[in-house]
Amino acid sequence: MECMSLLGFGACAPDAEFRASLPFPAFDINRETIPPLLRRRSSQAMQLAFSSAAAACEQARRSPATLPSVFASVAGEIQTTDLLCSELVKPEGVISPSAFHNSVQNTAAGYWSIAQQCTQPASALAAGVDTFAMALLEVWCQLSCQGGELLLVCYDEIWPAYLAPGRGRPAFACALVLAAGAAEGSIVQIGRPQPGDAAFPPVWAPLADSMPILAAIPLLSSVSTGEWPQVVAVSPLAPGWQVDVVSGK
Amino acid sequence: MTMPPISPVAVTAYQCVSAAGDDVETLYASLTANRTCLKPLQLFDIPFETVVGEVTSPLPEIRPSLKAYDCRNARLALKALCQGGFRADVERALAMHGKGRVGVILGTSTSGIYDSENAYARLLQDGVMPGDFHFLQIQTAQATAEFLQRELGLQGPCYGISTACSSSAKALAAAQRLIATGCCDAVLVAGVDSLCRLTLRGFNSLQLISPQACRPMDAERQGINIGEGAALLLLERPSAENAGRPRLLAVGESSDAHHMSAPHPDGVGAATAMAQALQLGGRDVGQVDYINLHATASTLNDLSEARAVVSLFPNPPPCSGVKGLLGHTLGAAGAVETIVSLLALERGFLPGTCGLMRPEPECLFPVVGAPNMELSPRLILSNAFGFGGNNASVLLEAA
Repeated sequence: MECMSLLGFGACAPDAEFRASLPFPAFDINRETIPPLLRRRSSQAMQLAFSSAAAACEQARRSPATLPSVFASVAGEIQTTDLLCSELVKPEGVISPSAFHNSVQNTAAGYWSIAQQCTQPASALAAGVDTFAMALLEVWCQLSCQGGELLLVCYDEIWPAYLAPGRGRPAFACALVLAAGAAEGSIVQIGRPQPGDAAFPPVWAPLADSMPILAAIPLLSSVSTGEWPQVVAVSPLAPGWQVDVVSGK
Repeated sequence: MTMPPISPVAVTAYQCVSAAGDDVETLYASLTANRTCLKPLQLFDIPFETVVGEVTSPLPEIRPSLKAYDCRNARLALKALCQGGFRADVERALAMHGKGRVGVILGTSTSGIYDSENAYARLLQDGVMPGDFHFLQIQTAQATAEFLQRELGLQGPCYGISTACSSSAKALAAAQRLIATGCCDAVLVAGVDSLCRLTLRGFNSLQLISPQACRPMDAERQGINIGEGAALLLLERPSAENAGRPRLLAVGESSDAHHMSAPHPDGVGAATAMAQALQLGGRDVGQVDYINLHATASTLNDLSEARAVVSLFPNPPPCSGVKGLLGHTLGAAGAVETIVSLLALERGFLPGTCGLMRPEPECLFPVVGAPNMELSPRLILSNAFGFGGNNASVLLEAA
């Protein structure tokens, strides 16, 4: 496979000030993207993931029911996990069964498959500061081996402050619908993620250090501003991972 | 959906630490003896009765330069790495392929959260997390992968897959794709999960924990027992040198799209995963010699899996599950039970189902009770299904 094609993307940033600073269109959480029965108990992580995923599928004009998915998040359902850990250490702590099964990393992936009635494979991965880069590599490998199209959703809700002081905010999600090879109607074509020393834009480096999923910003910025061809850093640290971005067709 | 076949990869080395032994030799001995290794929990107190698959032998210390990664999960992984020449095999691959060409893919459900729980106890007491708590090196899902990468001096792709109990089966899938696409020449796959209060008490809140040793696929099964383990597999591109090693042919994956914590009642997603593994691996149902079942011993899971086998196989092969022996190792289960299946392929036997007395009536296939030392399977499916309806089935073939 020579490249993968971006067919649509969506970004979600609940903090209005942060959202306004982004060099690409982003939206607040759209709770309408979550079925009513799931909405009440949905975590911020799930709301972020669903909001961006629905926007990406809409822009790509693809039905979510048919797309395999990869969900990537540094810390997953960290607010629910934090709540459970806090209860576990109390003498009379209460563990709710639904909180427990909603604490797994693939909570958003699982509910997405249920909400969309999508029986395609769904994965959930984490790679610390390289989460966005490894997510791109995973989808590259899936598209390369299997062809077709898929949905990538990268998200992180706010982390409880004491877990990693000074890090874990702002909340953010982005979703990309990608196709194997050079597909008609693509916005851009993205090359294979490779190790390299492309510099992460200094203006975004402090934020990406705080919230590693924001390593997606330079790629989305390139897509949105039409600055290509270019080599884009997808890791917040150099040497890290990078991709070539060229014009779509 | 029909997908193109995937190139097989060689499994050039594997090791496993679990309640059933500190290495694959003791695991093999435990499998052939088929006596449960499940015992009362020693690591911490829990407010209910059960038995667990606990690793009670000493765990190695993490070297000072990697102290930030120190947690039970990393120690279990390090213990497995140091067994029976496995580390030397990874170092041979590293020397042959180069450090940037060897990846690490981890499957885990709870990573180092046992140690996080200890830190939360300090938070409750002192109002602050202890200074040696490192969130991104202990708790997040890639932590033990990063530890192994640094411990071994590898520089290839490195990430954790965390899809609950299918995690490390899906890690095998990701690793195979990394080799098939030329992104890596070798990948260390690690399935590692450690006992923690979160999973013990969480599964108890779902009323899924059995007070006694579990009885997978038995008509009177009462639920699951949690276990822990570290299972490491070295995957490499097939070559003349590794022609004598077993092959990972494919991993089938699917979603139930049904319920977060209960499987599809008819096992539709499970059957799809098995069928997809066969399709991707270029084999058909009639060629499968043995199925290593996920068989957690929960009422719904076993029924769903039994129906999946019956729906896919006109003449099902012998099936068994090993969780009555070593517990449900959760995110590690896919890799642990892939190693059980590799032992079956390489040493010529069918593992038994420890705890089985009277099979579930819907098991319309032979459930292996006592280990069968007469049959030598050549093609095996090993199942792993998780929360979120996340299904994977690993297809393995003898050399």
